[in-house]
Amino acid sequence: MIKTIVDVQGVRVKIGKKTIVDDVSLRLGRGEAILIAGPNGSGKSTFLKCLAGVILPDRGKVIYPNGTTAKKIRFISDQLSLFENFSVRQAMNFHKRIFGLKQMEYGVFAEAGMDESRKIRHLSTGERTLLNLSLALSQQPDVLLIDEVIHVIDPYLREKFLEAVIDLMDRCLTTVILVNHTFSEVEKIPERVLVMADGRFIVDEQAEELGMRLKKVVSESEISPEIPFIFSQPAGPFIEYFVYPFGPEMSDRFPYEFQAVDLNQIIKAFIGGQYVQKRNP
Amino acid sequence: MFLFNIDFASPLPLYRQLIHLIKLEIISGRLNSGDQLPPIRELAKLLKLNPNTVAKAYYTLESEGFTESRRGSGNWVSRKEVQLDSLRRSMVEDEWRIFLEKVLKLGATARDIRALMERDLTDDQDHS
Repeated sequence: MIKTIVDVQGVRVKIGKKTIVDDVSLRLGRGEAILIAGPNGSGKSTFLKCLAGVILPDRGKVIYPNGTTAKKIRFISDQLSLFENFSVRQAMNFHKRIFGLKQMEYGVFAEAGMDESRKIRHLSTGERTLLNLSLALSQQPDVLLIDEVIHVIDPYLREKFLEAVIDLMDRCLTTVILVNHTFSEVEKIPERVLVMADGRFIVDEQAEELGMRLKKVVSESEISPEIPFIFSQPAGPFIEYFVYPFGPEMSDRFPYEFQAVDLNQIIKAFIGGQYVQKRNP
Repeated sequence: MFLFNIDFASPLPLYRQLIHLIKLEIISGRLNSGDQLPPIRELAKLLKLNPNTVAKAYYTLESEGFTESRRGSGNWVSRKEVQLDSLRRSMVEDEWRIFLEKVLKLGATARDIRALMERDLTDDQDHS
């Protein structure tokens, strides 16, 4: 059994009148890599902020049962908490002092060969994100929360960054939680997939299981009502059905071809299904 | 070595695909008895896989007797005589089943398949 690193108990967050995170309870394990997906506005970022301790929930609590300190939890979003007037070098020194790092592991950042005398406010979005991610990695956090920022880095550095994260997961058993909309590069990393909709998790499965339980059927006409599906859409003269939960006995009982799909399509189907539900309640 | 693709959208789980590919390396002789497998971390980085996935594949290979692990020093292709022939036969059979399923779905008959085999296998021998 994996050790629990974060224990989320009945967390609820309201912003204005809207409930953004709605009574969420779950446990995340040490060294787990988790992907959180969901439609825009479903509460993913707010949930991540609760994990990071950036916002306190209105109800419930987030517990780090093994005494993980704030220094070992790192949250990265597009709202970068860097000091605008610092130079890159000053920011690094500051970071080193605050987190008591003897040595700064530049890693990905060194790869970019950036001029360290430049001011933070003069950096591009990609450069800032890269700096922020590098600072986070150098801390060797126990928990790394990444809120949809990977796509702003260029493909070369993105690959280097991914390798650094994999390295960290293996060396330090870091728990990595990714909120992401684009998966092609990271799809083989998460072992657990959570899909959020309206403040709740509607899917919490091992990626491997999910791949086996969600299949696509392309059909000329409506498929048998006995087959459960979460989303369908026209595809040229055909209709695409995303069957879930799929059971292997269906291949024998029905004449359809149940195709395996990538994580991107799986997530898209769940999100698409949410929008359909919203339009036709 | 290990210039292969691992595909999320495959009916096989990722660690199973990795096991399959390492067995291919062994059968083809690119990995020999006593050779070291790449360290988990390095292979994970190379293939952009979760280190746990690689560890699971290595663990399974070891429990099936293809590899041995030495504490702290990595994983090695077993020095015991790996039953290459039976491994090869079982992998050929797996691939054959997948192939059959595909062509039968296309409506091929037993006669079609036999005719094609005859044609291409004979051609092959002519070339060699």
